[in-house]
Amino acid sequence: MRVMTVSLAVLAAGATWGLVACEVTPRKSADFPQARSTVESVAAQNDVIRYASPDVARARDYLSLAESRGAEHGVDDRVAAHYAYLATQSARIADQRAQEQAAQARIRAAELERERILHEARLADEQRARATELLDGFVKGTGATRTARGLVITLDHALFGKGRAKLNANAGGSLDAIAQFLAAHPERRVQVEAFTDSVGAPSYNLELSQSRADAIAMAFIGRGIDAARVRALGYGEWFATPEDAAARPGPPDRRVEVIVSNDSGVIPALLPITAGVP
Amino acid sequence: MIQLTVNGLRNAAWCVAAFGIVACAATQLTTEQLAVAQHSIERAEEAEAADFAEVELTTARNKYAAAQAAADKQDAELASLLAEQAAIDAQLAEQTARAKHSEKRAAQLDAQMRELREEALRSTKSPADARHP
Repeated sequence: MRVMTVSLAVLAAGATWGLVACEVTPRKSADFPQARSTVESVAAQNDVIRYASPDVARARDYLSLAESRGAEHGVDDRVAAHYAYLATQSARIADQRAQEQAAQARIRAAELERERILHEARLADEQRARATELLDGFVKGTGATRTARGLVITLDHALFGKGRAKLNANAGGSLDAIAQFLAAHPERRVQVEAFTDSVGAPSYNLELSQSRADAIAMAFIGRGIDAARVRALGYGEWFATPEDAAARPGPPDRRVEVIVSNDSGVIPALLPITAGVP
Repeated sequence: MIQLTVNGLRNAAWCVAAFGIVACAATQLTTEQLAVAQHSIERAEEAEAADFAEVELTTARNKYAAAQAAADKQDAELASLLAEQAAIDAQLAEQTARAKHSEKRAAQLDAQMRELREEALRSTKSPADARHP
């Protein structure tokens, strides 16, 4: 009965007002489940929320156009289907934009990290160059030899008087240079090794060499080097073999060697030269 | 009743006028939409959609051709719909191409970064000094 009334009203209106009457046509429910599910599943993605909300808004606008058009003209209406298609494509665009932006964010992060790594590498190169320069200067200045045990500096024989363990007053120069180098390289350690010849009692020689090694070690500690980094060893006449004497320059009885470790801080033990150590 | 009829006639006249304008506007709209679609396709091509979003670009091109055919047959409504779809297909092609392009670049950069990180790790583990103590 109600439908009849409405129909009559429509007919009456149509007779007098023509096309204007379209507005009073009752709405049917019409939706596009596939388009809607595409739009909603895309809209729920985090990257889409972050990067593509205008595209999602556009997709939703098209979806409501499709649904209201479908309500008026049925879901088979080509204009309604057209809007549903536009909604789906807008959602796909949102998805692709989000993927693009996420990739761009990855690119920016990677480029920043690359900058940082290259910057750090440059700094490390510079630091290495400075360290090499310092090392070369030290080796040149002290006449050190680079060996497997470390940097070996043979101290001036005039440091001690014959049979004495007290440093001469003029002994400072090379000790200053070594102490400075040690201060600049806290990871390196130093070992003082003193030797004598085989003249005299072995126990006296051992004691003399130890006292001389201690005197040098104390000189380093006195110049600010932590005692834990300094080791003093007197070998007496242990290495005063003829081969040893022949292999090393100068009078063997007052020979003192200072071994500066590499960055590991380890100084391998001294083995007899006859065993083949360089 | 007479009053109503006069009103009806006036409305009818308006309707005829309005239809003329709408029809004319529809043709012009179609022309504009075709231009928009063409522009969108060009943008997609510039974004290398031919390489990165071939399917989407082909869809856009086909729909654009169909829109033109409909316009040639004076089917303004169909032409308008197809042109609008061609435009959005082209936008999807462009955006897909941009996404693929960026992902490719991000993947390349990721690989470079892996290499760079390994290299940086190696160089910090072997300082120049260690070779000659």
